[in-house]
Amino acid sequence: MKNIITTILSLTLFVSCNVEKKSDKVLQKVDTEISSNTISDMSIYNLPSTWTTQNNQDIELKELQGDILVMVMIYTTCKAACPRLVADMRNIESQIPVKDKEKVKLILVSIDPETDTPERLKNFAQENNMDNEQWVFLRGTKEATREFAAVLAVNYKKISPMDFSHSNIISVFDTNGVLKHQQEGLGVNNKETVETILELAKKS
Amino acid sequence: MRLKLKLLESKTLCHIMILALFFSLYSCINNGESKAIENAADISVSKEMIAELTAPPNVPTPVGRRKAKKLIVNMEILEEVGEMTDGVEYVYWTFGGTVPGSFIRTRVGDEVEFHLKNHPDNKLPHNIDLHAVTGPGGGATSSFVAPGKEAQFSFKVINPGLYVYHCATAPVGMHVANGMYGLILVEPEGGLPPVDKEYYVMQGDFYTKGENGERGLQPFDMQKAVDEDADYVVFNGSVGSMTGDNAITANVGETVRLFVGNGGPNLVSSFHVIGEIFDKVMVEGGDMINENVQTTLVPAGGSAIVEFRVDVPGTFILVDHSIFRAFNKGALGMLKVQGEENEKIYSGMQEEGIYQPEGGGIQEMPIEEGVSRGVVTAKTLAEKMEFGKATYMQTCFACHQAEGQGIANAFPPLAESDYLNADVNRSIDIVLHGKTGEITVNGVVYNSVMTKQDLTDEEVANVLTYVYNSWGNSKKEVTPAMVRVRRSGH
Amino acid sequence: MISLFRFLAIITVVSYSGSIYCQSNNEMTLVKGGSFMPLYGVDSSMVIVQDFKMDVYPVTNHEYLAFVKKYPKWQRSKILKLFSDDSYLVHWEDDLSLNKDLLPESPITNVSWFAAKSYCECQGKRLPTVDEWEYAAMANETMPDARTLPEYNQKILSWYETPKTFKNTIGSTFKNYWGIYDLHGLVWEWTLDFNSVLISGESRKDVDKDSNLFCGSAAVGASDLMNYAAFMRYAFRGSIKANYSGRNLGFRCVKDVDKTQ
Repeated sequence: MKNIITTILSLTLFVSCNVEKKSDKVLQKVDTEISSNTISDMSIYNLPSTWTTQNNQDIELKELQGDILVMVMIYTTCKAACPRLVADMRNIESQIPVKDKEKVKLILVSIDPETDTPERLKNFAQENNMDNEQWVFLRGTKEATREFAAVLAVNYKKISPMDFSHSNIISVFDTNGVLKHQQEGLGVNNKETVETILELAKKS
Repeated sequence: MRLKLKLLESKTLCHIMILALFFSLYSCINNGESKAIENAADISVSKEMIAELTAPPNVPTPVGRRKAKKLIVNMEILEEVGEMTDGVEYVYWTFGGTVPGSFIRTRVGDEVEFHLKNHPDNKLPHNIDLHAVTGPGGGATSSFVAPGKEAQFSFKVINPGLYVYHCATAPVGMHVANGMYGLILVEPEGGLPPVDKEYYVMQGDFYTKGENGERGLQPFDMQKAVDEDADYVVFNGSVGSMTGDNAITANVGETVRLFVGNGGPNLVSSFHVIGEIFDKVMVEGGDMINENVQTTLVPAGGSAIVEFRVDVPGTFILVDHSIFRAFNKGALGMLKVQGEENEKIYSGMQEEGIYQPEGGGIQEMPIEEGVSRGVVTAKTLAEKMEFGKATYMQTCFACHQAEGQGIANAFPPLAESDYLNADVNRSIDIVLHGKTGEITVNGVVYNSVMTKQDLTDEEVANVLTYVYNSWGNSKKEVTPAMVRVRRSGH
Repeated sequence: MISLFRFLAIITVVSYSGSIYCQSNNEMTLVKGGSFMPLYGVDSSMVIVQDFKMDVYPVTNHEYLAFVKKYPKWQRSKILKLFSDDSYLVHWEDDLSLNKDLLPESPITNVSWFAAKSYCECQGKRLPTVDEWEYAAMANETMPDARTLPEYNQKILSWYETPKTFKNTIGSTFKNYWGIYDLHGLVWEWTLDFNSVLISGESRKDVDKDSNLFCGSAAVGASDLMNYAAFMRYAFRGSIKANYSGRNLGFRCVKDVDKTQ
C-alpha cells in the first residue's frame, strides 16, 4: 500500500515539476485517479517494464519523462546496419544546439538482451564515445524488448546465434512520451528529425 | 518522273533527319534528360479534384484542356465472390469491386494523391504498383496496407501514355491472377484528340482447380498458374462480360477508341477485332503510332490504345487471336454497331454455304468414359434443366441457336423437331459420336456435319433433358444411365 | 503480511495486464516439440521448438467478453490509444455486449496484439511464437507435417480466398494431428513475435538481398517460395502493427510445459 502511495506521490511531483504549462485540472485528476491517467493515452510511459542502463541502474521508462527522447533499437555485436544507425544518431546529436542539449536524451535500446549485458553496453558506449549523461543505453527482458519494438513498429528477428535482422527506425518522442516523428532507413536525410527535435525543445 | 521526285524528296528528308538526330543527340548530351519530362515534372498544380473512377467497359470524362491538378484517387480493395461464367464462381480480389479495377484518368503534370483502402472484411494485405509512377516499386513500397487500413502516397504523372497498375504483394502472381489489375491513363497536355466512343477492355488469364466450365466455386490453382495452363482467358474479368446485352456499342460513322490492357498474369494477347482494321494504334500505350493494323500485341502488364472508324453496321467480335483462347476459354467480346448498311464497303452475304464453327468444348479430346469430373450432380428435373441449359449455352447454342430454331440451310432446328422426338437413343448417339450426312427434319433436308461432343454422361443427359423439355418437344427425361448404355456400344 | 501487500501492490502498479489470477476455461493440448524448417528460418537451418501446450480453439467472443468484464481497462471505451487503433472491438454493440449478429462461439477478432497478449498473460499463458504457431499448423488430420502434400496447401490456399470465414464458429474446421482446431480456415491469429517478419510489402524487393533496410538480410529469402500459403501468412504478419485490430484477426494462447513435473 505504501508503495502505491509513494508512486502516486512521485508521479504527482514529476508532473508538476516538468510540465509547467499543464493546468490545475490535470493535477486534480492525478489526485483522484491512479497512474495511467496522468499521462497521455499515446505515451510510451504507459508501458510498465523495467530496464537496466549501461551504468547498471534499473529504471522505468517513465523516469525519462520531461526529456525529449530520440530512440533507436540496435545490438552491440551487429556489424552491418547498427554502426551506421549509431552514426546517424551521432549525426542527429551534433545538430542539436548546445543550449538545447540538456533537454534531449539519446536512447539506444538493445534488441539482444541476452548478449548485451550492462557491462557490454558500457563498453560499447565508451568505445563509441557516448558515455555521458546524454546517451542512455537500455536493456530489458526479452518480452519487454519485443513489446517495446511493437510500440515503435520496429521489426526484428534473430537469424543466427549472433545476428538479428531488424528495421532501421529512429523515433522522436516529446516530453510526455508521445511519438512525434520517425525516420526509416540508413543514412537517410535527417532534416525533419532534427527539425522535430528543435521544435520540441523550443516548447519545453 | 514521279519516282525521281520521290527519291529527291526522301533524300532531303534524310538530310533533315540526320541533322535533327544530330541536334537531338547534342541536346541529350547537354541536358541528360529530355525536355518534355523536365517540363512535366515542373508543371505546377492548381486546385484539388476528386478523380472520377469508372468500372469497365466505361472510362471517365476526357481531361480535355483542363489544367494540371491535385487529383485525389480513392481506391477500395474488395475480395469478393463473382461469376466467371454460368454456374462457375470465383473469388476475385479487386481494385474498386471490378476486374479489371477502376479506370483512372489523369493528365501530364497532375499530382495524384492516392488513397488505397483495404476493406476490413478482407483477409489479406495488398498494395499497388502503378506503372505510371516514377519511384520505387511504382508505389508498392508506400502502399502496403493491412485489412481495415488505408495507405496514402502521392506521385506526379510525368510521362503520357496508358499504364497498367496491379497489386505487388506476395505472392504477386496470385494477387494478379485473382484480378488485381487495371489501367491508368495519362493524357498529354490538351488531351487526346476527341473521338465519339471510348471503352475500357482488359484481358486476364485465370487458373481454376476445376476444368473450364466445371460448376461451383472454383479455387485458384497455383500449379496451373505456374505451368501457365489457363482455364479461362477473358476480357473484363469474366466470360460474357462484353457479349450479348453487355456488348459495347457504336453508330455507323463513329470513331471508337479502345483502351486495351492486359493484366496477365501470364499470357500475351494478340488483340484483334474481327471485321475491323485499326486505323491507329498507339503501340504499347506509348507515343508511337502505327496505322492500319489488323492485330496488335498487348504484353502482360502492358497496354495499347486502338482507334478505328466503324463504317458498317453489325456485330464485331473482339478476340485474343491466339484463337483457342477466344472460342474455348472466353476471350471474346462484342462491339455492336448500328446504322445504315453501306454495300460499297461490305456487301452482305452473296453466297451461302456450309461452315462448321467450333463449339465450346474441346473436340476430339479423349476423356475417361462415363466418369464424372467430380461436378455437382443434378438431382431434380429443375436442376437438370439448369445444368443442361448451361451446357447448351456453351456447346450447342452457336449452331442450334438460343431458342433451338437452328439456322436455315445449315443447322437443323431442335425446337418442335420430329427427328429429335422420334428416337431418343439416336439423339444420344449423335451427341456422343457426331453425325455427318443428309437428314430430314420437319420436312427440310439438311446436309452438314456435327462433331462428337466432349461431354460426360451426366452432361449429355442434362443437355438432352433440357432440349427435350424445351421449345415444344416431347418432355422426355434422359438419364446418365441411358447415356452410359449408348456409350458402351449398347 | 506487509510483504505480501507490497508484492501485490507492485504487481498492480507494474503490470497493466492486471492480476495473474483468472480462470482458464479453454482446453489445451500438448504439442510435442521438434525441429522443422519454417518459410523464414534462422540462417537456413532447422528451428527447434520445445514442447508446449496450445489452446484447442481460438478465443471466442464469449470468452473475451468475460475478460473485458473483469478487466475494464480492455473495454472498447477504456483501452489506451497506445494499445489499440479505432477498430478495436468496433463490431461490438458497446463495451459489454456483442452485436446481435455475432455468435458467442465465433472467434474474437478486432483485438490488438497488446490486448491479445494481456488476455493470455492473465490466464498464466502467453501468445505463441511464430515458429510455434507454424510448427503446430503444419499438421493435417493425420500427420504432424503435411506441408509436402499439395492437397494440404491447396486447401489452405482456398481458405485464404474464402471471404468472411470469421462469421463461423470455433471447431468448424478440421481437428489436426495434435488435436487442435481452426489453425486454418477461420481467422488469422496473433503471434508473440509477429513483428519478427521483415517484409516491406514490396515483395519483389524483398527478394533483393542487398535491401539496405534490414541488417542480416539473409533471412529475407524464403526457404520454399512455392509454399504460397505460408508466404501469405508471413506477408499478412508483415503488414500489421501491434496496435492494429482486424476483422479477420483473432488469437489463441499457449503455455510452456513445466519440465520439472
